[in-house]
Amino acid sequence: MRKMFALAALLAGLSGQFPISHATDWNMPVGVSQVSRDVYDLHMIIFWICVVIGIVVFGVMFYSLFRYRRSKGAKAAQFHEHTTVEVLWTAIPFLILVAMAIPATATLKNMYDASEADYDVMITGHQWRWQYDYMGEGVTFFSNLGTPREQIAGTEEKGEHYLLEVDEPLVLPINRKIRLLTTSADVIHSWWVPDLAVKKDAIPGFVNESWTRIDEPGIYRGQCTELCGKDHGFMPVVVHAMEQEQFDAWLEERRQAAAADAGGVDREWELAELVERGEKVYATICAACHQAEGQGLPPTFPALAGNQALMDDLEHHIDAVVNGVSGSAMASFSGTLNPIDIAAVITFERNAWGHETGDVVQPADIQALLSP
Amino acid sequence: MWDVVKSVLAAFFGVQQDQRRRKDFEQGKPGAFIIVGILLALVMVAIVFAIARMAAG
Repeated sequence: MRKMFALAALLAGLSGQFPISHATDWNMPVGVSQVSRDVYDLHMIIFWICVVIGIVVFGVMFYSLFRYRRSKGAKAAQFHEHTTVEVLWTAIPFLILVAMAIPATATLKNMYDASEADYDVMITGHQWRWQYDYMGEGVTFFSNLGTPREQIAGTEEKGEHYLLEVDEPLVLPINRKIRLLTTSADVIHSWWVPDLAVKKDAIPGFVNESWTRIDEPGIYRGQCTELCGKDHGFMPVVVHAMEQEQFDAWLEERRQAAAADAGGVDREWELAELVERGEKVYATICAACHQAEGQGLPPTFPALAGNQALMDDLEHHIDAVVNGVSGSAMASFSGTLNPIDIAAVITFERNAWGHETGDVVQPADIQALLSP
Repeated sequence: MWDVVKSVLAAFFGVQQDQRRRKDFEQGKPGAFIIVGILLALVMVAIVFAIARMAAG
């Protein structure tokens, strides 16, 4: 009894520790869309059917065990077959399964019907961040883990949304049908937000469809649910649902920022501003492998700090970031980062951690490399 | 022939009377059961297909 109590307390503690949704500790969330409520209702109907079956089956079994026990002189019947009973115990489960399949199929059909959407969002999984592309709107960005590295290292207290927070959430309008197109740039990921009842595999070379229509403004959190490598647990999903007007204002702001960035490629950048921008890019993109202070995790992730060979070879440094290093864990960042970010992060790396090369890599030069 | 169909349907369902099973093994021809089995399997596929079409449409 005491052991059971301890186990229950442990389970309660585990499930309550990192609240991912508006779920109670013991059940799945009702969620904030019609589909998520349908899924919840389906789950409860089937749960109660199972409870009733369990009570009936075990009730008959325990009653028989007790009523016809040997000490009361019960004699076992000896017969080989009973066709009627066999037919019944085949037909009844069949009918129950069909009865459960009818509402389940209706819900599934609805979940797969991504037609006539108001917005299309392409979701691309990367090791280890999500990319959101508002198709036809000219807005695309990466959503990186927002939890400070100090909390992960344990030198700071963990926040309320530890490992379930990002720098830029997926922003969506409420009461609009959003088609979600899920794919991956590298390995298989899976995009999951329990409150929306959306869980879709992101597979390289495939585009999977799903959709949602959110009823209430709010922040809904989820995670990558397909083991995808070292930082699988560090690429959460955050959806920020808001009113249409707010969403329109946000989208316009993002559009203007994208336009400003596009214009920024051509101008001459100063060392200081590149270093400042590069430091942020480094922290969100590079630090996962090369570590916060550039010390790396040799031998898989080499150190950048104090790497004299790298500092002596600017061309190789640029090539490694733009094209990746084949045969190593170093990925190509030409599709992940824009030319300004690439120039900034290389400039930062060559002027941080005691490096004093004074090298300034201009975004325009990176742009030239990318589109010869 | 009707007996063969009934036996094959009983096999699909998974329940057969002992008496009939004995009779099938003593008097039946394997070829007849195989042919009827394949035909009824095709009928079942067609029925499942039709139900799926109905549910999707």
